[in-house]
Amino acid sequence: MSETREVPPAEVPDEVAPEPAGNGLRAVLRRRLTETTTWTFLILLGIVAGFAALRFQQFATVFNFRNIAADASGLLIIAVGMTFVIITSGIDLSVGSVLVFSGVIAAKVMLAIGGEGWGAIGAGLVAGLVAGLAWGVVNGVLVTKARVPPLIVTLGTLGMALGSALLITGGIDVRGVPLQLTTTIGIGQLGGVPYVVIIAAAVTAVGAVTLSMTRFGRYTYAIGSNAEAARRAGIDVDRHLIKVYALSGLLAGLAGMVSLARFATTTIGGHSTDNLAAIAAVVLGGTSLFGGIGTVLGTLVGVFIPAILQNGFVILGVQPFWQQVAVGAVLIVAVYIDQLKRRAQERGERR
Amino acid sequence: MRRRWLVGTVALALLLAACGGDDDGGGAAGGGERQYKLTLIQGVKGDQFYVTMQCGAQAAAKAAGATLDVTAPDEFDASLQTPVVNAVVAKKPDAILVAPTDTKAMIPPLTQAKAAGIKLVFVDTTTENGAELAESEIASDNEEGGREAARALAELTGGKGSVLVINVKPGISTTDARAKGFEDEIKKTPGLKYIGQEYSNDKPEIAASKATAALAAHPDLVGIFGTNLFSAEGAATGLRSAGASKKVKIVGFDAGPKQVEDLDQGIVQALIAQKPADIGKAGVEQAIAALKGEPVQKKIGTGFVVVTKENMNDPDVKPFLYKSSC
Amino acid sequence: MSEPLLEANGITKSFGGVRALRGADFAVHPGEVAALVGDNGAGKSTLVKILSGTLAPDGGEIRFEGRQVAIEHPVAARELGIETVYQDLALAPELDPAANLFLGRELVRPGLLGRLGFLDKAAMRRRTNKAFADLGVGLQDTGAMVANLSGGQRQSVAVSRAATWVSKVVFMDEPTAALGVVQSAHVRDLIRRVRDSGIAVVLISHNMPEVMELADRIEVLRLGVRVARYQAADTTMEQVIAAMTGALGSEEGEVA
Repeated sequence: MSETREVPPAEVPDEVAPEPAGNGLRAVLRRRLTETTTWTFLILLGIVAGFAALRFQQFATVFNFRNIAADASGLLIIAVGMTFVIITSGIDLSVGSVLVFSGVIAAKVMLAIGGEGWGAIGAGLVAGLVAGLAWGVVNGVLVTKARVPPLIVTLGTLGMALGSALLITGGIDVRGVPLQLTTTIGIGQLGGVPYVVIIAAAVTAVGAVTLSMTRFGRYTYAIGSNAEAARRAGIDVDRHLIKVYALSGLLAGLAGMVSLARFATTTIGGHSTDNLAAIAAVVLGGTSLFGGIGTVLGTLVGVFIPAILQNGFVILGVQPFWQQVAVGAVLIVAVYIDQLKRRAQERGERR
Repeated sequence: MRRRWLVGTVALALLLAACGGDDDGGGAAGGGERQYKLTLIQGVKGDQFYVTMQCGAQAAAKAAGATLDVTAPDEFDASLQTPVVNAVVAKKPDAILVAPTDTKAMIPPLTQAKAAGIKLVFVDTTTENGAELAESEIASDNEEGGREAARALAELTGGKGSVLVINVKPGISTTDARAKGFEDEIKKTPGLKYIGQEYSNDKPEIAASKATAALAAHPDLVGIFGTNLFSAEGAATGLRSAGASKKVKIVGFDAGPKQVEDLDQGIVQALIAQKPADIGKAGVEQAIAALKGEPVQKKIGTGFVVVTKENMNDPDVKPFLYKSSC
Repeated sequence: MSEPLLEANGITKSFGGVRALRGADFAVHPGEVAALVGDNGAGKSTLVKILSGTLAPDGGEIRFEGRQVAIEHPVAARELGIETVYQDLALAPELDPAANLFLGRELVRPGLLGRLGFLDKAAMRRRTNKAFADLGVGLQDTGAMVANLSGGQRQSVAVSRAATWVSKVVFMDEPTAALGVVQSAHVRDLIRRVRDSGIAVVLISHNMPEVMELADRIEVLRLGVRVARYQAADTTMEQVIAAMTGALGSEEGEVA
């Protein structure tokens, strides 16, 4: 990629050109309001309002929302990474397995170093993050250099990561993680907000800023929109994709650390559907599976729809399988509406 | 136009769900008596042991004029049971009957439940601090159950050869106790060599592969003890596919319909049936006693029935076979 | 006649068993529109891709400002001052015009933020608006995704991008192919403006009337070799077509 700062001839007089109508506040708002994210947000508000109306004292409490947020924190971290991947029109099915693998590595390192101190905990956490990053790099390299479709690559690493975790542990969860990890980060709070929520919120904020305001984010969109155009424009598409998959792996590793802190055990059996839940959250949030479109803020909304549906249904006493039906229905309806909008736009502009 | 569609669909879905749910209107209310709201959180969905427990609990709740909601996580895992517990706590029932899926990991959410003023009764499994956290801990005497299994297996195998235990995973109070009881008791039969425990992670497929692997490694394998429903069922499947059903005797724990069928076909030779309906019933009774301020039994040990092909239709055995629905 | 700014001599290129170029030549001078024409399969697009850095030639030499160069990547072409408007436009449909204009050459904020990669979207938008104004491109909603623009507007964005960044040579591959009458006229005006500012414009087109109208010189490619060169003012459409189809035989046409 060229390092010289190329400057277009029109730079020197930086005068204000006649502003076309597209940049006024009204136009920006109009664009925002027709985006899927806003509709999904309204759905979320509708669901919250609905449950609050039906079971106000039980549902609409700080206690309940705090728990919902804490329970959703791991999925949110994974979903932020998944957002980047899907915007490049890729996919990462391996996130649940990488989460488990990272937790196993971290727990083993902590136990190997021994003791209850922050040294052991810190070393374990770093090891877990590195493990996640490594799987992400494997995914990225296979997708770009071996030219295997992301669906297949990450399906393979899904099996390999989980299988490796089972091999290392003999199929049994690793327990005996230093208690300090659980009592401080796992279930501890800062100013009434659980640490795990703070971590997830920080990841979301950094992810949102990176995606919308930096070159890294723009390259992500460009590659998803038209990878060949990006390549011709001088963007090193392969290197960028490796970074994006590495990011997804790293965040899966971080989610593994958060899970380990909360449950003090590696919960091997509990993450087999994390990948689909993350993908559903990302798509619900307005990201297109075809690439080029999406936001982290949308994913934030998308994560909470299933989380609140599950919580509300348990409070209402609805049979568990209805939850899955409902989440699936909302997902289909949201994507369908998105498709209708797109088709309308296409039809409208073909003059 | 489409926006109204979407909001309308969602609202309709919510309304239907609300109508379809067990809201607090059910159950007969007694004279001036308070109607108690109870919730049962099982260890995992779709397990007949827990379904039978639910049947016993529901019958007892009805008799006492209380309402009982039932819910469960998709897998027997603490990371999936925690959000369910949290949501149930938000619902603020008077008491929760729960089967904790991990002796340590479930302590924080259950502590929160107790702090919210909800009475806890632990059914089947428990936590490390169960005596402090729960009003009552009700389970089969699992060590004794393990000993029963050892005795049954010693008899079935004629006392000679290698025996294997297929357990679930460490950290579950009940199955750990069963394995321990078995281990202690099997020593009394010197002709039987105990080759150790394998773990199934509560998945029949894993139990099956562990069984066939053990068979390959130990040709003199004559007996397997499966410490829970899925472990025993999986072991039976593995042996059947290896063609070793006649050679290796299986004693299982729990008597679900599939296992009873296996028993009937001679694939499994004996089942140690717990009395989950009794556990459920006792759970409800203790919860209500705690709510009324009456004396509570801190620990209750329910019994076992040894089921074989010969006795499975006897009137004093048949009622204890597990149900798939109430 | 002045020195060619960019010239290709004896370029060969094969794809498997197909010999697309068999020693093709080409030249373009500053401040002129040189049309590269030929029938289907003559090798025009292949030659353009080689000269713009998308493909590597098997043989032959390329000279830029008199020096021999190897253009191994579109970025290398850009660094020489060569820009290309591809037949498929090479725009990112989900990005807005400003993002497309600055694709691969984004402006970053000054200072620390810039080092972290923070984009200066306001500056990019300002300069895009100015570029559009200068080039006479009227877009009502410059914040809209390129996918929501009409075919003609998209073409204008692609042409504006090349015109904005070009300093020496611009290749335009079928720039009005999908456009209506009015929009084609706009693009042709744009091309003339670019030419008048001293840039060398290479026009690849099937549209013979357009070629005759716009081009200063015409070079004809046939079966992978250059078969004729004409000054547009001194030739007719029939003569050019005859050269394209081989009716005139493999000989050099008039060279001014």
